[in-house]
Amino acid sequence: MALINLLFFPGFTFLFMCALFFEWLDRRIIARFQERVGPPWFQPLADFIKLLAKEDIVPSGAHAKAAALLPMFSLTAVLTAGLYVPVGNVVTASFEGDLIVVLFLLSLPALGYFLAGWTSVGVYSLIGGHRSLLQYFSYEVPFLMAVASPAILSGSWRIASIAAYQSQTTWGALMQPLGFILAIIGLIGKLKRDPLDIPKAKSEVVAGSLTDFSGRKIALWHLSIYIQTVVGIFLLVNLFLGGSSHQSLFVALPIFGLKALGILILLSMISVLYARLRIDQLANLGWRVLAPLALIQLLVTIWSGG
Amino acid sequence: MNRITVPIGPQHPLLKEPMAFQLTVEGESVIESTLRLGYVHRGIERLCQERTYVQNIHLVERVCGICSHVHTTTYCQGVEALLGLEVPLRGLYLRTLLCELERIHSHLLWLGVLARNIGFDTIFMYAWRDREIVLDIMEDLSGGRVSHAVNVIGGVRIDLTEEHRDTILSQLDLLDKQVAHLLGIVEHERSLKARTQNIGHLSLEDVRRYCVVGPVARASGLNVDLRRDRPPPPYDRLTFTVPVHEDGDVWARTWVRMRETVESVRLCRQILTLLPDGPVAARARRRVPAGEVISRSEAPRGEVIYYIRSDGSDIPARVKIRTPTLTSLITLPTQLEGVNMADVSVVLAGVDLCIACADR
Repeated sequence: MALINLLFFPGFTFLFMCALFFEWLDRRIIARFQERVGPPWFQPLADFIKLLAKEDIVPSGAHAKAAALLPMFSLTAVLTAGLYVPVGNVVTASFEGDLIVVLFLLSLPALGYFLAGWTSVGVYSLIGGHRSLLQYFSYEVPFLMAVASPAILSGSWRIASIAAYQSQTTWGALMQPLGFILAIIGLIGKLKRDPLDIPKAKSEVVAGSLTDFSGRKIALWHLSIYIQTVVGIFLLVNLFLGGSSHQSLFVALPIFGLKALGILILLSMISVLYARLRIDQLANLGWRVLAPLALIQLLVTIWSGG
Repeated sequence: MNRITVPIGPQHPLLKEPMAFQLTVEGESVIESTLRLGYVHRGIERLCQERTYVQNIHLVERVCGICSHVHTTTYCQGVEALLGLEVPLRGLYLRTLLCELERIHSHLLWLGVLARNIGFDTIFMYAWRDREIVLDIMEDLSGGRVSHAVNVIGGVRIDLTEEHRDTILSQLDLLDKQVAHLLGIVEHERSLKARTQNIGHLSLEDVRRYCVVGPVARASGLNVDLRRDRPPPPYDRLTFTVPVHEDGDVWARTWVRMRETVESVRLCRQILTLLPDGPVAARARRRVPAGEVISRSEAPRGEVIYYIRSDGSDIPARVKIRTPTLTSLITLPTQLEGVNMADVSVVLAGVDLCIACADR
């Protein structure tokens, strides 16, 4: 049973399918907003297979072992995080404090991304790596404070109990709208999506840390980023939209899926609406606006009876 | 922090044409920049001396991929002056119509490039979608979307019927609406302003010192426009305003270009309603009497200058082209000094470089 959980549902296969589907839907929604057609449904899978089959080049001077290990490291981290996040009413692994573990695992790819830039030889990678670290320091603190508020409110650091608490009372997004908005912004920063795609800004640093990667490695990087998207969205559904704790799996899963799609559409819309920020503008935003707001949200939560 | 040298080009996602920058970067700010050009030099000026005046029309059309029509217009204007040829008014109107359509096309394309460089893909898609309207009009008129081959010495080779005129007018209505929408975004969208204001600043003195022309000069407060200052017909019979801004940054350039687009749509509409009857071209002799001439016109990027010398044969003795991009290229080291690495793409987009024009 544990093996099935790990490999199929809600483990690797499920997350993989979700990642491909979310990627396709994301690209499709953005395309429709921009009056384009967008890719067909099999495009993400085709891209993945194509990249797997392509020649794998490591530039001379780059750290070959690091280049091979870092994408796997990131992928492992986000897949592990996926195990601790309840999907619908399915809780694979859960213990008091698993929220903190998930947050830690979800921020590991940022470290991997930075190291990927650090260990490669290109200047674009180097700048991309630097930027990803700066970005990490700007969004992570408000993000952590924002996701801490529902935990404090429900009196538990266990994701499943937070979701259960909210399904008995009301959604976290309604009780803590500020926290929800901050968590969304933090998630955008974490996933390096437009308008916070500063570390991989195409017109500035080509592809950031991933400029010198190719073939299998870039495929794994893309996969880890999209699985991170899926896990991040699932986490927010549990923390702010009450998850889905219906008795029957066949009712709980669609409800959960709809909530997740709602957040995905929100993310797509935000990425269509704004121009990319500059790294100093993000640092300003993060520390002068988002962090104080997150602090206020946290204090209000504690004050009102956490 | 260590200084590193970041190469931008000859191939780079932010460049649409090949040129090479070496940026010395400390942290994220640019300390020094050097520029290398010449990757698309095709020796067009030399080739002009080996072809007849008529053949050269097709050659100078290929100087630029965007403002191709204005190059042939300026060239034909010069040769016509040497010949002492009177061009029929209808021909001049149609020539100008294409010039203005080309300005709209060029400015919308540029807005798309700028939006892409600041990571605002939606505006990029919208601007290029609206540009399609202009391209369709131009294709209907001449058969070509980018290279039109419309000009001949003595006039144009196209004419248009009443129904065709009405179709174009209705297409212009749609364009008017879309351009107004884009102008609204430029004026009000805060994330766009945050990336373009106070960047790539050029003062009025700098503009004067470097002899900058076109929208870049007008965005720094220099009120020059050849169409108004020395109007070639039919501009003297048309009414339009020349937008000028004082700020001198990339946002001011964006605003000036979008306002100009609005004015160009207005001009197109005037040209179509005032279009006189008559022939579209006059017959020109093959041999051009000896002499020399300087022909100028206002291209989308500013003033284009053609110097043509004739020795009395049917082949020009010299054709010298000065494109507006040259004047903005010299200002780039000034503009790039001290800017954030992330703003390099914005500065480069802001001046609207046409490397094919500059290299020839």
